Amino acid sequence: MYKIKLEQKERVSKREELIITLSAIGIALVLSGIFIALNGVNPFVALWKVLTSALGSSYGISETLVKTIPLIFTGLAVGIALNSKLWNIGAEGQLFFGATFATAFIIYGPVLPKPLMLTVLVILGAVGGALWAAIPALLKIKFKMNEVISTLLLNYVAINIADYFLFGHWKGKDNFPYTPIFPEEARFDRIGFGRVHIGLFLALVLVVLLYIMLYHTKIGYKLRMTGSSLKAAKYAGININKTMFMVFLMSGALAGLAGVSQICGIEYKLHQHISTDYGYTGIIVAWLARSNPFIIVIFAIFLSILLKGAESLQIAMRLPAAVGIVMQALILFAILGSELFKNYNVKLIRGK
Amino acid sequence: MSEIKNNSALVLMKNISKSFYGNKVNTNVEFTLEKGEIHALLGENGAGKTTLMNMLTGVYFPDEGDIYFKGKKLNFKFPGEALRIGIGMVHQRFSLVGNLTVLENLILGHPDNKFVLNIPEKKKLIKTYMDQFNFQVDLDAIVGELPIGVRQKVEILKMLVREVDVLIVDEPTTVLTKQEADNLMEILKSIAKTGKGIIFITHKMSEVFNIADKITVLRKGLKIATVDKNDTNPRKLAKMMVGKESEITFERPKVDIKPGVVKIQKLFVNSDKGVLAVNNLSFDLAGGEIIGIAGVSGNGQVELADALTGNRDVIRGKIIFKGENITNDTPVKRIDKGVSYVPGDRVNVGVAGNRSVWENIIMKVYRLPIFKKGLLLNNKKLKEYAEKIIEKYNVFLPGINLPALLLSGGNLQKLIVGREMERDCDMYIFVYPTRGLDVGATEFVRNAILQLRNQGKAVIMVSGDFDEIFSLSDRIAVMYEGKFTGIFNNGDHSLEEIGLMMSGCTEEEAVKEMSNV
Repeated sequence: MYKIKLEQKERVSKREELIITLSAIGIALVLSGIFIALNGVNPFVALWKVLTSALGSSYGISETLVKTIPLIFTGLAVGIALNSKLWNIGAEGQLFFGATFATAFIIYGPVLPKPLMLTVLVILGAVGGALWAAIPALLKIKFKMNEVISTLLLNYVAINIADYFLFGHWKGKDNFPYTPIFPEEARFDRIGFGRVHIGLFLALVLVVLLYIMLYHTKIGYKLRMTGSSLKAAKYAGININKTMFMVFLMSGALAGLAGVSQICGIEYKLHQHISTDYGYTGIIVAWLARSNPFIIVIFAIFLSILLKGAESLQIAMRLPAAVGIVMQALILFAILGSELFKNYNVKLIRGK
Repeated sequence: MSEIKNNSALVLMKNISKSFYGNKVNTNVEFTLEKGEIHALLGENGAGKTTLMNMLTGVYFPDEGDIYFKGKKLNFKFPGEALRIGIGMVHQRFSLVGNLTVLENLILGHPDNKFVLNIPEKKKLIKTYMDQFNFQVDLDAIVGELPIGVRQKVEILKMLVREVDVLIVDEPTTVLTKQEADNLMEILKSIAKTGKGIIFITHKMSEVFNIADKITVLRKGLKIATVDKNDTNPRKLAKMMVGKESEITFERPKVDIKPGVVKIQKLFVNSDKGVLAVNNLSFDLAGGEIIGIAGVSGNGQVELADALTGNRDVIRGKIIFKGENITNDTPVKRIDKGVSYVPGDRVNVGVAGNRSVWENIIMKVYRLPIFKKGLLLNNKKLKEYAEKIIEKYNVFLPGINLPALLLSGGNLQKLIVGREMERDCDMYIFVYPTRGLDVGATEFVRNAILQLRNQGKAVIMVSGDFDEIFSLSDRIAVMYEGKFTGIFNNGDHSLEEIGLMMSGCTEEEAVKEMSNV
């Protein structure tokens, strides 16, 4: 008979961590394959379909990139908070609130010259997201309320606020819940590759800026210190409440930008489906990337491929729409499960 | 199941080797424990004592070598198994549930527990153990509200209830007062008399001679020797432990005193639980002076230090530093004004363990203009600064970019002390500066404290170690329930008198009490 032995590890090297993460993704893909097979589709054919649909044509690649853009924003949003050991489960709500905020200016404000208009919209989207994130931040700092709960619940509130306007004042002429099409001045330029828009550059610039901020500035140092040990940070003279508040604002602003980039870059209007759970997928992206901004880009692309592929599976192979969600969930589970292997040596031994 | 010849031994560890990431922590170690024996495991921090015992209790598995218990070879599947067969360990960090009562903790996870717990019967059983070994613990008290010394007793009682044959205690006295420690040793001796084997991990020489029958000395993972207590002396053991004979004496040369650097006026501070921990405390401190604060731990010493450094709010009273009222200043303001703090909890407060060594060294200087490069931090310069401190203060570490938690206790404290000394402050506060440190690191830290005094700094040193208090302090203050029961020049009172003040007597009462004897 064989038994499993667990032995605590002193620490884990970067290389080991990478191997464990990649193995976890591998296992999740195998489990997804089983799930697909149970639905009567050959998993290898499905995998091929995922890859070819997401990467096999310039159209596929451009559509994958279209999904990558919001995932970079939300991945960064969750990731920066994770650097301070804060869980922002509310990127989805901040995305919607940022989008609603920017939309309000388009609807009620003047039409400005394009560069100015876009600058205003980007800033408003960021401010909207930041404001929405300020609520859980204050609740945490003033009343020690757990941010996982507050950010999560505020998602529903933010989405309902957007709905309020969509079903009310902003309703289109045909009575459907979406705003009128935005004027040309409020649209991100396309870069000449499918629907890919300049939001991609904004996202990539922010990746670099955030990396520099995290590792080469005082605020980045404070932020990471706070995440490592509250007591030590306080001892070092860091104002931990102020730091946490700033982290929340930055995190919300990034998620708000995802909202602006969706409405101004892709949809050209606000409606209920500007996000396909990008705020939640961002959590997986940030977690897989260990909150490193550059690695967030890689995993944002990876998850976009899965999302795009799952759409095609649904259309071409008549698999249920849930396949994509199931795959994401399996990856998250596998990654969380793999934490065991980071903290323990697991040995299979022959028992008595 | 392989049998071995030496059946009388309770525990036999043969040729044990263990390494972590290529670092050998134990190399071919042999260890034997007989019935009824108290066996001290002596060695400096990082000598491999705890690792060796973790293998005996199934937390780690040896890379090489075999372990026999009552003549049978051990092959653990999971850590809990050791306790089930009769090997129990009391760790430095206790494993009690704070919200439960003592009784509930004692029977928690006990294999005899049925679906219905027969509490009265359990109580009776536990009482027999308590009487047998002279324990005084309230079984219905909530563990979280008990002083640390009592919690330790609960841990040991828990092992007795589990009827262990081997009891391992890992540096049990580091958190105890002298009286508590003496009481603990008596209990351990009476337990050994019943035929159980006790392994006593320590690096305190006095305890070894008080309690042990046999002593095994480890150094850098190697077994240096196993000796009978009667065949050795502290000097010989110290030599085995550190590889050199260390006779440490401190000289306190006369220095020019700068009076009134720190003035504390009627200070009131609360503890975490909202209870008054510092109760109307006033004292002055001069530059070039060390005030040693003695006392049983938990009498407000840590709260006082926290309040002085801004890590805890002051309820009432004033802290005047260099003529300036800093009572309401934030920690960072005080850091800038020249207040330095070496906290008692160096692992959780003194450093952020999972951040790199260099990031921990710069934690109080990274804001300075000289480390700026435009809007950014000059990481290169900061790392150079960290490297300078590592070299200057002789910190031994695996790498500057690796997490600080990989450092041994002594090197971690050297890092912290070096970091603080380099900032050149006017007031230094040390809390339990050498607790749990080996001989070499202790000597280093004490020299550093003295050096600061000689440079004219005002030094407050909270300590539970009388050697430290007597050898370093210019003045001694004894703290009891948030107040000073005495504050006097070093040498004015004997150890016994200070002991009495620690239990609440005033200076006069203590002197009177001693003259009556």
